[in-house]
Amino acid sequence: MHCGIVLPRLDEEVAMSILRSATKLHASVRQCARLVTAAQQQRRGYADMAFTFASPVTVHYEAAKVKQIDVPSFSGSFGILPDHVPLLAVLKPGVITVHEDDATSKRFFVSSGSVTVNDDSSVQILAEEAIAMENIDAQAVREGLNKATAEVNAASNDQAKAEALIGLECYEALQKAIEG
Amino acid sequence: MTFWREAGLNYVRYSQICAKIVRQCLKADLREAAAKRNESTVKAVMWKDGKPVPAAK
Repeated sequence: MHCGIVLPRLDEEVAMSILRSATKLHASVRQCARLVTAAQQQRRGYADMAFTFASPVTVHYEAAKVKQIDVPSFSGSFGILPDHVPLLAVLKPGVITVHEDDATSKRFFVSSGSVTVNDDSSVQILAEEAIAMENIDAQAVREGLNKATAEVNAASNDQAKAEALIGLECYEALQKAIEG
Repeated sequence: MTFWREAGLNYVRYSQICAKIVRQCLKADLREAAAKRNESTVKAVMWKDGKPVPAAK
């Protein structure tokens, strides 16, 4: 079915006037875009990192000013400095190092979660479990590593095997974190 | 593709397994409180015509 709208016929003068205002509008939009870009560049030049790091039970940092954050992710381990390119990544078990300033840095072990770096240089890390390195029990890690190895060998189907392998990977990351 | 994805698992399950392990590796005094986080419960109530429907026994 055809459905049309009947427009009154415009004479040439009216049409020209519409065209002129459209051109003006286009120019001012371009000007606005230039101003926004300039403001962004200026802001980026002096940017701090507003760093937020939390697990469901603890907030470790809330919009804190830090120097650098080292993160383990599925796309590799990487460091985040101010003005990092915006990014989304999923975490894998490993150590997050937060360089608060030149002298102090803190290390946490995270199980999994997500990391977001925004255009305004703010960074959010949301982890399912995030614990301070000093709270890790080395004995429990060693025992768990042996148990996980046995579980991989004992797994009867693909899914059980995959779950056991994930566990083994996690224990290996914990072991590496304690040693390193 | 990762091996666990090929086996039909997703990242939520991956995250769950790793989080549980990290909790088990906490020092003894913190471990007990953390273990409570392994389980979570969801209570769902169905509604019909603006009224909650009691769950079928």
